[in-house]
Parts: sequence; C-alpha cells; structure tokens
Amino acid sequence: MAVVYRIPIHTEQDIVLARQTGRNIAKDLNFGNIVQSRIATAISELARNIFLYAEKGTVTITPIERGKAIGLRIVAEDQGPGIRDIRKAMEDGYSTSGALGAGLPAVKRLMDEFSIQSIPGKGTSVTVIKWSD
Amino acid sequence: MARQEWEDEYRKILQAFLRGRGEDQLYLGQQLSKWLRAHHVAPEEIVDFHVRALAETVELPELVKDSFQLLTEVMIEYGIAFREYRSLRSRQQQLESEIEVAATMQQTLLPRTSPQFDQVEIGLISVPAKQMSGDYYNFAKHDDQVFSVALADIIGKGIPAALCMSMIKYAMDSFLDQRITPAAMLGRLNGVVERNIEPGMFITMFYGMYDTCLHRFRYAVAGHEPGFWYRASKGRLYDLESRGLVLGVTPDVDYQEYEIDIEPGDLLILMTDGVTERKVGGRFLQRENIADLIQAEIGSPAQQIAENLYRKLLLLSNLELPDDHTMIVIRRVV
Amino acid sequence: MNITMQTIAIQNGTKLLVAGEVDAHTAPQLSDQLVPLVQRPANQSVVVDLAEVSYLDSTGLGVFVGALKLSQQTGCRLSIQNVTPRIERLFRITGLIDIIPVTPRAESVAGQQDQASLQKRFDVVSADPKEEP
Repeated sequence: MAVVYRIPIHTEQDIVLARQTGRNIAKDLNFGNIVQSRIATAISELARNIFLYAEKGTVTITPIERGKAIGLRIVAEDQGPGIRDIRKAMEDGYSTSGALGAGLPAVKRLMDEFSIQSIPGKGTSVTVIKWSD
Repeated sequence: MARQEWEDEYRKILQAFLRGRGEDQLYLGQQLSKWLRAHHVAPEEIVDFHVRALAETVELPELVKDSFQLLTEVMIEYGIAFREYRSLRSRQQQLESEIEVAATMQQTLLPRTSPQFDQVEIGLISVPAKQMSGDYYNFAKHDDQVFSVALADIIGKGIPAALCMSMIKYAMDSFLDQRITPAAMLGRLNGVVERNIEPGMFITMFYGMYDTCLHRFRYAVAGHEPGFWYRASKGRLYDLESRGLVLGVTPDVDYQEYEIDIEPGDLLILMTDGVTERKVGGRFLQRENIADLIQAEIGSPAQQIAENLYRKLLLLSNLELPDDHTMIVIRRVV
Repeated sequence: MNITMQTIAIQNGTKLLVAGEVDAHTAPQLSDQLVPLVQRPANQSVVVDLAEVSYLDSTGLGVFVGALKLSQQTGCRLSIQNVTPRIERLFRITGLIDIIPVTPRAESVAGQQDQASLQKRFDVVSADPKEEP
C-alpha cells in the first residue's frame, strides 16, 4: 500500500512544506539524521527551481521498495519554460553560482538515482530516489 | 578506517581535548581532518557526529543540541561545494594531460634545427610563455642555393592560436613546390587564413627568401614587428623596412616585396613581438633599447646572439615571460 | 586589467568611451559593447575614444578587427581616436591603420618625458656609436 504525498508548489511557503514532508517521511522510514537532511535539501532545491522558473508545479514523494531495500522517490514536475541545455545545467561549476538550473548537479550528488526530462516550452520533470543504507 | 572507526577516533580526540584543551589534540584533530577530507567525509557528517559525541560527555541544553540541527543543515551546502571541487579537480587534471599531449604534438610542427649552408650561420631561439606556443617559425630549403625563413605570431591566445599554427604550416607546405615570391606567398596565405579564422583573430607574418649564392634577401611582411639588419662595414643596425596588412583581415591583399643585398659579416635579426613587448621597471622597452642590446652582442656567433638576447631580456623583465619569445639570427659568414 | 566603458550618442551614430586597459582579460568586455554598436542599423558611424586607455595589446586589436569585419557588412563607419603613440604604432605596424581611421592624442608633455626618462634609466653600453648617414 503505497502512500503518495503530493505537494503543489506555488509559493515559497510550499517549498518549506515540501521539505518538511520529505523529512518526516524519511524519519518514519528510519533514515538517518544526515540522510533526512539531505533529502530535505534535495526536495528544497527541486521545489525552489519550480518556484523560481515555472511559478507552479508539484512535488510528489513516495516511499518505495526494491527487494529488501526501502527508498524514497521524489518527483518534481512543472509546465514551465523547460531547460534549453540540460548538459550545461548538469555541469559542475554551476551548482553554487545561482545560474538557471543551478542546484541540479547538487541534487544528483545528494541522491542515489537521478533522472531528468525537460522540453523547452513544455516543462520539466526530475525524478530522484534515495535508498536507506 | 570505516565510519565506526573515525567516529571512535573523533570521540577520543574530542574527549581528550575537553579534558585538557591541549594543543596536542588540536594537532591530532588536524591530522584527522586531512584523513577525513581525503576520504570524502562530508562536513555535515562531522558536525552531526560532533553533537552526538558531545552529548555523551557533556550535559547539553536542549537549545544547544537543537542548534546543531541548523548547523548541520548549513553544512550540507558546503558539503556539496566540496564534492563539486573534487570533481572539478579531476577534470582539471584530465585537461592538463590533454594539453600536454597537444603541446608535444605542436613541437613536431616547429623545426629544431636550421638548414645548413656554408655561407651562412643561423641562430634560433623560441620559448613559449605557456605550454602552447602562439609563435610559428619555419625554414625551408628550396634548392641548393635558396632557403626561406618564416616567422609568424598568431594573435588570440592559447589553444586556438596554437591550432592555427598547423593551418599555416600545411598551407605553406602545399605551396613549397611552386616557385613563388615572398609577396605572393603572403598573398596566398592571407586568403587561406581569412577564410578559416575566427573573427577577432589574425596573424602577423614575416616571410623571406635568402639566396646563398647571390646573397640577396627578398622578403615581405604582413603586419609583423620589423626586424633588424646589421651592415658590418658600417657597424650599424637598421630597421628592416616593413609594411603590410596582417593576415586574415581582408580577402585580397597585395604585399610589398623588399630586397637587400647581404655583405660578408652582415646580420639579419628577425623576431616576434614577444621580444619587443617587454616591461622593464614598469615601463615598456623601446626598439632602440633592443637595438642596443643586440649591438652589445654583435660579435658573437649567431646562436649565441639569440640566446644571450633572450637571457638578458629575461633578467631585465624580472624573469617574467609575458609572451612567446622567438628570434632568428642569420649571418653571412663568407 | 580593468576596463570601463560609456556610450554617448553622436550625430548619426555612437561614441564609445573606453577607459583602462585592453588586454586578454578585458578584451571580451570591449567586444561585448562594440559589436552590437556596429551592428545597429541606426549607427552610420561608431567612434571609439581611447583617450583614457593606457594599454592595448594584440588581443585588443583583434576586437577591432572583428568589429571592422562586421561594420563592413552593415555599412557602418568605424573609427578610433585619441590613441597613445605606442598604440598608434601597433595599428601602424599591423597595417590596420590603413583600413581603420586612427587618430592620435594631442601631443602631451608627460608622454615625451616618459620616453626621455626611460632612455636615461636604461643603461646599456653600445659596442659602436651609431654613425650618422
């Protein structure tokens, strides 16, 4: 029975709500303290991108299982402008510069699995998974 | 050391430090820190562990404990930056080794020795300012009698300039069989360069042909720093007359050709502007200063003139080499 | 290694005032300002004033070469004024002075003094006194 938590992102307060939700779920799943923080940070980054560039979108958090492993899947999607140059957005050197798409390399590093789809003019969808140790 | 081990180690150091506040523990902490960094332990992990280890030894007020949560959160961003730094460092190392390969390949484009003729002695020095050189030079023996000398400065720095060099070399090689005059050679090269170059780049070039029987030197210049020539009978150094547009700016350019007769003991001194654009004591050198330096060496063998000039200039400009330095010295011996 | 620029409207065109140094570091900034000016149809003439430029090297020349080529496409007349003797020499040696109008600064007493003092400070013993023709 998978419980899915869907948080609409429209205001900055929604970012905080998404972070909190993610942290709480991770806690319930017995993720360690640091990992909880990393998950919260990753959700925050993704939600912030939605807020800054697409104005609205959704963050969906789902506990998942793969064999014996327990994990958390987070999907951040929007119908915003999309990312023109995904390769550049994933390049190092941008995660701390505040440029468009900044934070994606950071999110990738914080999580175990990362995938992204973006079509300029249509929108963006980022999916990440963090497994418990 | 696994996680458990470094945590134990940290705990021990922390407790010892709290007991005695010794410099020893701080020093041990520093060594541990190096190890932690080398093993990619993130800052947030250390902060998180610190508060847990601290709580085992000391009664921590709730507020203090809670405050560490905030600190941990803040440290996560630093952890991200740290990981990015590592990734960038390894990319940098990769780039550096690629540049080394390119620089080695580039060396094969530049001749190490000058052609041998009984009637002339030739001196040569070319020192790149960085790994890749933007100065190009070449000698070509056209037959038993005639050789040509080319000197070019590719404007635009670093790797793109160095890549241009191959283009020049191969373009010139392709014209080698044809008996074309220096002016015509520059005209042809100008066309090649203009069609193939990035906007904002251009090439200065000196190209001359020396007839070792007639001892006549014909040359043409495309915007290149004028060289010098020395008339031994007068003991005087002159500027090599040079006028012409740099290569690559407009498609069809007619270059002027110059000719001088070389007498026994005379010298030709050619260089790139890395030689002349030097600062001494905060001020730029004038051509007269270079002339004086050359004049002081005038009696030496050609190779020595080239090398001594380079060394003198290096010393004068405080061992700084701001641009590639290339000089060719040709003396009529007989 | 610093550069500042300012544009002024002039009759049928724009004047670009440049101050500081034009070298490999600052040349891109000059290019970023100059290129759009020569491409703008309203600019029949673009005058670059280098009165406050103390240093310009071959990368700076490269910027003018690039701008010149573009200006020829749009029929814009590019010219440069108030250059130091050293910079004028650079345009002269490269032959660029024949295709871009370049005017020197009014002769300054300070400039002449610089030249004279360098001659004196630079101690080199000449092997032979140069003969007069």
